[in-house]
Amino acid sequence: MAIEISWKTGGADAGRRVLDGAGPFKIGRASGGDVVLDHAQVSRLHAEVTVDGSTVRITDKGSQNGTRLAGRRIAQPTVWEPSDEVEIGPFRLRVRFTERPGLAPADGDADATAISPAAAPARGAGQPRPQPAGERAPGGPRGAFPGRLFEQRIVPLRDIQASGKLAGEVNYVAVGGGIGSFCWVDHLRIFGVSASDIRVLGVADDKRPYAKWGRLCRNSQIPDHERIRSNSISVPDNIWGFPGYASRELVRDMLQGKLSGIKAVLQVFGEPMLTESYTPRLIDVFNSFDAEAKRIGWESMWLYGQAVGLRKTDDERYVVAYRVPSAHAPGQSPEQREKFIVARYVQIATGYPASNFLPDLQEFRKANPSNTAVVNAYEHHDEVYRTLEQKGGTILIRGRGIVASRVIQRVFEARQKNKDIRLLHLVRSPVRQGNKYDLAQRPVRNDVELQPFNWPKSCWGGTLRERLENASPEERAKLLATWGGTTTADRDDWNRIIETGAKEGWYKVFYGKVASISERGGRLVTRLESTAQHQENVDLAADFIVDCTGLVARIDETPLIADLIRTYDLARNKAAGEGAELRLSGLAVNTAFEIPGLQNGRGHVWAAGVVTANGPYAAVDSFLGLQYAALRSVDHMALLGAPGVSRFGPIRSATQWLKWCLGRSP
Amino acid sequence: MIPTLLGRWHTRLLLYVFIGLPVTFLFSMYQSAWQWPPPVTQSVFYYPFLFITLILLLGLILDVVYIQIQRFHWDQDWPFAYQFFFSILEFYAVYYLMYYGVFDYLWSFVSTSLLFSDGLIPLSDATWHFTFVFIPSFLAVLGGVQVFLVRWRFKGGELGRHRIR
Repeated sequence: MAIEISWKTGGADAGRRVLDGAGPFKIGRASGGDVVLDHAQVSRLHAEVTVDGSTVRITDKGSQNGTRLAGRRIAQPTVWEPSDEVEIGPFRLRVRFTERPGLAPADGDADATAISPAAAPARGAGQPRPQPAGERAPGGPRGAFPGRLFEQRIVPLRDIQASGKLAGEVNYVAVGGGIGSFCWVDHLRIFGVSASDIRVLGVADDKRPYAKWGRLCRNSQIPDHERIRSNSISVPDNIWGFPGYASRELVRDMLQGKLSGIKAVLQVFGEPMLTESYTPRLIDVFNSFDAEAKRIGWESMWLYGQAVGLRKTDDERYVVAYRVPSAHAPGQSPEQREKFIVARYVQIATGYPASNFLPDLQEFRKANPSNTAVVNAYEHHDEVYRTLEQKGGTILIRGRGIVASRVIQRVFEARQKNKDIRLLHLVRSPVRQGNKYDLAQRPVRNDVELQPFNWPKSCWGGTLRERLENASPEERAKLLATWGGTTTADRDDWNRIIETGAKEGWYKVFYGKVASISERGGRLVTRLESTAQHQENVDLAADFIVDCTGLVARIDETPLIADLIRTYDLARNKAAGEGAELRLSGLAVNTAFEIPGLQNGRGHVWAAGVVTANGPYAAVDSFLGLQYAALRSVDHMALLGAPGVSRFGPIRSATQWLKWCLGRSP
Repeated sequence: MIPTLLGRWHTRLLLYVFIGLPVTFLFSMYQSAWQWPPPVTQSVFYYPFLFITLILLLGLILDVVYIQIQRFHWDQDWPFAYQFFFSILEFYAVYYLMYYGVFDYLWSFVSTSLLFSDGLIPLSDATWHFTFVFIPSFLAVLGGVQVFLVRWRFKGGELGRHRIR
C-alpha cells in the first residue's frame, strides 16, 4: 500500500506523486523534495507527511505562510483524511491510498486516465472529476446523498422540503458554472430575468466563469498575451457579437495613440484569403468576461456546489441535488453540505468530464507512476520546458492539431534559450490530402489539415449550419466526420517554425503506431511498430513525451449525465469520426437545445456545450456555439411564457445593447 | 459574413429599405435643389431611385451566383473583402448597362419611352450616390444589423426567428 498525493492549482490538476513507505515525505519548493510545489508562497521545506499503517499525518515545518487542513491552520502533526484538502499557498492537495501506484482515479472505463476535470479551450463549462464508481448506489446517483429520494423518477416536493436540505427555489438554474452557463445566464439577464431568480451551480475554485477554461489554456501553453483560436465576433461577453474583439483592439490602441489596432481590423476585412484570420488575445477575453460578469451580477447568482443528480418533481419542476465543497463551507459536516435546489427551467452545461491519454502512454504511466516525463498537454507541465531550457534535451510530441502547434511553438521559444533542444513529432500517418466536401477541399500543410477554426466557418451560422440541422442522424454523423477532425490554424509563425526546424534538423516528424514505450537509461524510448515499408524497428529516445491528442472523453463519465441517461432513458446522438472521436456522442437535443426526455409538464431542461456533441449543431464547444445554444434556448423560453423572458425584438435589443456599451446593469 | 441564399436576399432587401431608399431620397432632394413637394415626375428626382432599384434587382440575381462561388470555399463563407469588391462591381455593372442602353433595350419590349438613358447622370454623381448608400450598408453588415436583430448572424442573414424542430 502506498499513498498518492495529488495537487491542484486554480482548479486544475497540477501534479501528483505516489509515495511508498512511512516517510517522512517532504513537501516544499526545494527541488529535492518528494512533492515540489514551485511557488513564492511555498517555503522551501513547507510540510512533512508520515504514514503509519492506514493513518496519514501532516506536519507544518514552520513555513512562512502556513499549512491549512480542511480550512484550519495546523501546527502539530495532524491526521490527514482522504476527504480533507490541504492548502499550501495556491495549491490544494489531497491524499489517497493506492494499491496500484500511480493509477489515476479508478472510475470511468478502464482505458481512461482522467487528468483534467474541466472544460476545453474555447469550449464549455467544467464538471469535477468523476468520483469512484464504488460510491454509486444501485439505481440512483452515487453515495448516500441524495439516496433513496432519487431512486424515483418523479420526486414529491414535500419529501424534498421534509429533508431539511432545500436551499432554495428559483425559476432558473444553470448547472456547470463555466462558459456555457455564463452565456445562458447572460442571455436570461439581458432578455429580462432578474439575478435573484437565477442560480448557477459550479465547482471551480473561484467564481469566474472561465476559471477552468483559462487554466487549460495556460496548461496547453497559451500565455495571456498569445492569441487564441477564436473569431473577432465570438465575444462571449456580448450577445450581439458587436463590437468584436478586433474593433475593441482598434479603439483601445487608438486611445493609447497606437496604430497597431488597424492591423486587427484589416485582418477581419481580408480574412481568410488576403490575410491570416484575426484572433483575439487571451487576456482580452478574460477581461471581457470579468466586465460582463460584473455587469449582470454573476457572483450574486453563484453557488459553490457539485451537482450530483437531477430529478423531475411532482409539481412540474426539477430538483437538483448538490454538494458544497468543504473549502466553501468551513466547519460544516458532510451532511450539512448536501443541498437541494428546485427550479422550473434548468440548463446543463457541464463540459468535458476529463481528458484522456493515448492508451499506450496511459499504460506507461500506470506502470511507471513515479515517472513525470510523460505528460498530457492539458495538464500543468511548465516544468518540462523549464528543464529543457536549463539542460537541453529531446521532447517527443504525440499527435497533431492546434495543441500540438502550441506546444511546438513553446519548444521553439525554449530553443531561443537553449539550442540543445530537439523535437520529435510522432503522428500516426502522413496527411497529404484534406477532406473534401461539396466543391471544396481542406488545405494541408506539414501533415495537418488547416482551417481557421475547429469547424468550417459556416457551421456557426451559414449554409453548413442549415445543412446539418436538416440532416438525418446518420447523415449528421457523416457530415460531422467530414467537417471536423484534427486541424490547426494556418499561422505563418507556426508554419515557419516547423519548416525551419526541419531544415535545421532539430525538428523531425515520424509516422507510425507505437509498439511499446520503455524507460532506458533515464530516457523514454518509444518503439514504433514495423510496417511493410519499415521492416526494422524504429526507436525514438526522448527526455519528455507530451500527449497532444486532445480532450476527447465520454460525456457519460460525468456522473450527473450518466445518472440522467440511465434514469430517464435519454437518447444519444450518433457518434462520428474515427478513433477517439467515436466516444463523443452527446445527449440528443432538439434545435432549441432542449433535452426532450426531461420535459416535465411546464418544466424544461436545456443543454449546451460538448454534452450535445454530434447533434443538430456542429460547433457546440466554442464561444459562439455556446452563445447560439443560449439564444436558442432562451428564445424557446420566451415562447413557453417563462417569467421575465421577453421576446427580444429590435427595440429591446438595441436598448439593451446601449446599456451594454454604457456598462449598465441589464 | 457567412450567408445562405435566402439570407442574402433578406439582407439585401433590409438594407434597400432601411438605408438605400432613405439615402436615395436625400440624394434626390439635393439633386433637385430641395424643392418641396419633391418633383417626383422629373428624372433628376426619380432617376437615383431607378438606379438603386436596378442594383437591388441585379444583386438578387447575382446572389445565386455568389452562393455557388461560396461552395468552392471550404468554410463556405463570404469574406468582407468579397462583399466590398462585388458591391462595387454591381455598381459599375448597372451604370454601364444603363449607359450602353441594355436596360432600354429590355424596356423597349414594355414601352417605347427611353426610361433608363433619358436621365442618366454623370458617373461622378452616380459614384457619390452609390458611396452614400454603400458605406453605411457595409458598416451595417459589419455590425449594425445585429444590434437590432440578435438572431440574424446565426441565420446566415435571414430575418425572423429560428424554428424549433
